[in-house]
Amino acid sequence: MVIAAGVDIKGVNQLTGGESRFEQDILDQLFLRLFEEQPDYAEHPPTFEPALAQGFTWSEDGTVIRIQLRSDLEWSDGVPITAADVVWTYTAQIDPDIAWLEAQSKDSIEDVVALDDHTVEFHFSRIYASRLSDLNEGVILPEHAWSKLPFSEWRGNEEWFLDNLVVSGPFTLAKLEPQHQIVLERNRNYFRQGYPLLDRVVFRVIPDRTNRVEHLLSGQVDFVEHVPPKRSRDIERSKRADLISKWHRQYTYIGWNGCQGLFEEATVRKAMTLAIDRNALVEALWGEMARPALSPILTSVWAFNRNLVAWPYDPDQARRLLAEVGWEDHDGDGYLDREGRTFSFELATNADNQTRADAVVLIQAQLRRVGIDAQVSLLEFNSLWERHQNHGVDAILSAWGIDTSLDLKYAFHTDSIEDGKNYGCYSNPEVDELIARARRQARPETAAPLLRRIQQILHDEQPYTFLWEPMRLYGVSKRLENAQPNPLSAYFNLEEWWLAPKTGAKTGLKTG
Amino acid sequence: MIGFLVRRTVTAALVVAIVLTLTFFAVHLAPGDPTTRFLHPRMSQVQQDQLRRTLGLDRPLPEQYFRWLGSIVLRGDLGFSFVHNRPVSRVLAEHLPPTLLLVSAALLIQFGAGIALGALAARHEGSWTDRTVRWLSLVLYSAPHFWLGLMALLLLSYRTGWFPASGMSSVDALDWGRWWSPRRLLDTAHHLALPASILGLAMAGGVTRFVRNSLLEVTRENFIRSSRAAGVNERRILWPLALKNALVPVIQIAGLSLPYLLSGALVTEVVFSWPGMGRLTYGAILARDYPVILGATLLVAIMVVAGTLLADLGHAAVDPRVRAGITDHKAR
Repeated sequence: MVIAAGVDIKGVNQLTGGESRFEQDILDQLFLRLFEEQPDYAEHPPTFEPALAQGFTWSEDGTVIRIQLRSDLEWSDGVPITAADVVWTYTAQIDPDIAWLEAQSKDSIEDVVALDDHTVEFHFSRIYASRLSDLNEGVILPEHAWSKLPFSEWRGNEEWFLDNLVVSGPFTLAKLEPQHQIVLERNRNYFRQGYPLLDRVVFRVIPDRTNRVEHLLSGQVDFVEHVPPKRSRDIERSKRADLISKWHRQYTYIGWNGCQGLFEEATVRKAMTLAIDRNALVEALWGEMARPALSPILTSVWAFNRNLVAWPYDPDQARRLLAEVGWEDHDGDGYLDREGRTFSFELATNADNQTRADAVVLIQAQLRRVGIDAQVSLLEFNSLWERHQNHGVDAILSAWGIDTSLDLKYAFHTDSIEDGKNYGCYSNPEVDELIARARRQARPETAAPLLRRIQQILHDEQPYTFLWEPMRLYGVSKRLENAQPNPLSAYFNLEEWWLAPKTGAKTGLKTG
Repeated sequence: MIGFLVRRTVTAALVVAIVLTLTFFAVHLAPGDPTTRFLHPRMSQVQQDQLRRTLGLDRPLPEQYFRWLGSIVLRGDLGFSFVHNRPVSRVLAEHLPPTLLLVSAALLIQFGAGIALGALAARHEGSWTDRTVRWLSLVLYSAPHFWLGLMALLLLSYRTGWFPASGMSSVDALDWGRWWSPRRLLDTAHHLALPASILGLAMAGGVTRFVRNSLLEVTRENFIRSSRAAGVNERRILWPLALKNALVPVIQIAGLSLPYLLSGALVTEVVFSWPGMGRLTYGAILARDYPVILGATLLVAIMVVAGTLLADLGHAAVDPRVRAGITDHKAR
């Protein structure tokens, strides 16, 4: 089977690489985690199915989790997978010389102890809702094979890990040709008997999105992720492929810079939201492949506040609100002004994303109708973010991809202005307190009322104007059976995929 | 001649050193750094700073420069790629061969097609053949590489399936033995045909027009007229007499084509998903992978300088006037 990929992987060591979602997805085919997070978070917090682990029990005070590992597990070289691998992986994950990007997920873990070959305990310093998610962050690595290289030499030595690769997942890496192809082959020591169903999966690196779709339509590949919305109809009409659509774990927003005065007032930010026709934007840019966003917690997530009522597109109300705080067209030049200052600001986004570039131009025209001069800036990604991180952009159109921990501290807590992603300097003591309390809850369910209240305040104060939640589109050959990509991973059940013989054709749109 | 070579080599080394130094400061002073792209909501500033320390990016820029220079000059070590987590020399070694293959094939097509079409047009000056060739060369020269590439893909791959649309080998090639087995070589040639043709033909337009004009100029020289008067066959006048003389300046064009081909290779590599230096360098620039940017710059600078030097030497080898100039320079 051949899959068209937009990027390739740089290696097999998650702790020194694993930067892209795609790379994480591939590494999850090579190495197992303790648990496998399930994409069932629409009605309740996500559940975790055993992977390396067989089961677990929490201590009465909730600070210690004892995990029982399966006893029939082996690395691909036949060496048993034990609790020692789990402990050693943890020491690598927090090692400062390795500087793993996700090391923060282990901040609240005080110790990891192997009680015997198949029992391991994680000791937490505090109780909070996403402990299981945090301990499960990162794949388990082979101590017997990789501990031969000191941690201080891990950076810059990816070749060594490729040469000493042993795996625990359904596939092993047969060949890695940078920018060309990644070849996975069945791991014959995989614990699930009879799986994976495919002997070999080839990921061909095709950087251009349109070309990837053409490869699918011409039968040269069997699966494509990141189908551009404009090409979805071509796939639906094709005799060779089907379209699968899933709500993506991402929201696009305009972040207002409240550090510099213009967007410091909630009234102004709310007026901006009222002046932007978000439904028209979604319709023009995405059609049915996105929906308006309302909150940093996605509509498809269990903790979303379903009582939120979307702010309408109401330019008159926007003008009234702005007049209340002194923004009116005093000099008759067609633009609002206050104390001699024209309401003019920079609306920036990254130039390499055409949808965002189109969006800022449409928004510019909409704001012009209420007398606001939005100066569009299309900047190179690094340049944009360096300025944004230094609070130097008036307003940014960007997006956050989010996990299921629902920790809103990153962008909405006062502490995150200095150490986080709160680049717009949003600060509300009540939100700070609610975020802190939500982070202290032992179970995600008990954090729900707090999260709902936070969403309501953010809705009222609009530190962000939430624009849209996109779908992720996948093109699937009609010969490919049982492919179930989901928002957690496009290759979630890759071990269960199989290819039908070249005769016969299925029809229809697969949705989810 | 040896003195000329030594002087040119020293100058070339100086040019490469200046290019590298300017590139070093340009990329380090550009906004962002290798950690900017890690925009996971849960990655803290502390974590980002830790990574900067691990990569040595927290040190003053002059210190970083002299460390980097020292490791190149003293140990020949280009450092390791922040993105690929491997020595830069290994990363470049992986990506250079596909680009060299593509560019070499494109050079052959560029000059093969360019010279043949140029000669054809000159031979039939003023005829419809001449007009067609001139029109075709103008189209090839002015059409953007990416457009030509996309059209070729659409017509010759997606619609007809005659050529593969991406990569440099078939998916099943892994089972066909070593890369030098006849089946693998044929497979690579099949994959190379479209991208090399597009890159080569796009550049051939200029060569065609140059050869045509140069040939027409030469055929008006006295020695050609004398040959004609002496009854030499018209074909023999064209080759070897006229064409051999008309091609002398083409050697210079070949040397100067290298930078254009290398920059054109980036677009071709993206359109045809060809793994090579262009995509590597472009990705490194976006990711601020400083060691790879500098390593690639070093390699390209050496190739360009060497290409120019070889063109000069080639020119001197075939043109006694140029050779005499070099000798005179030595004498002075």
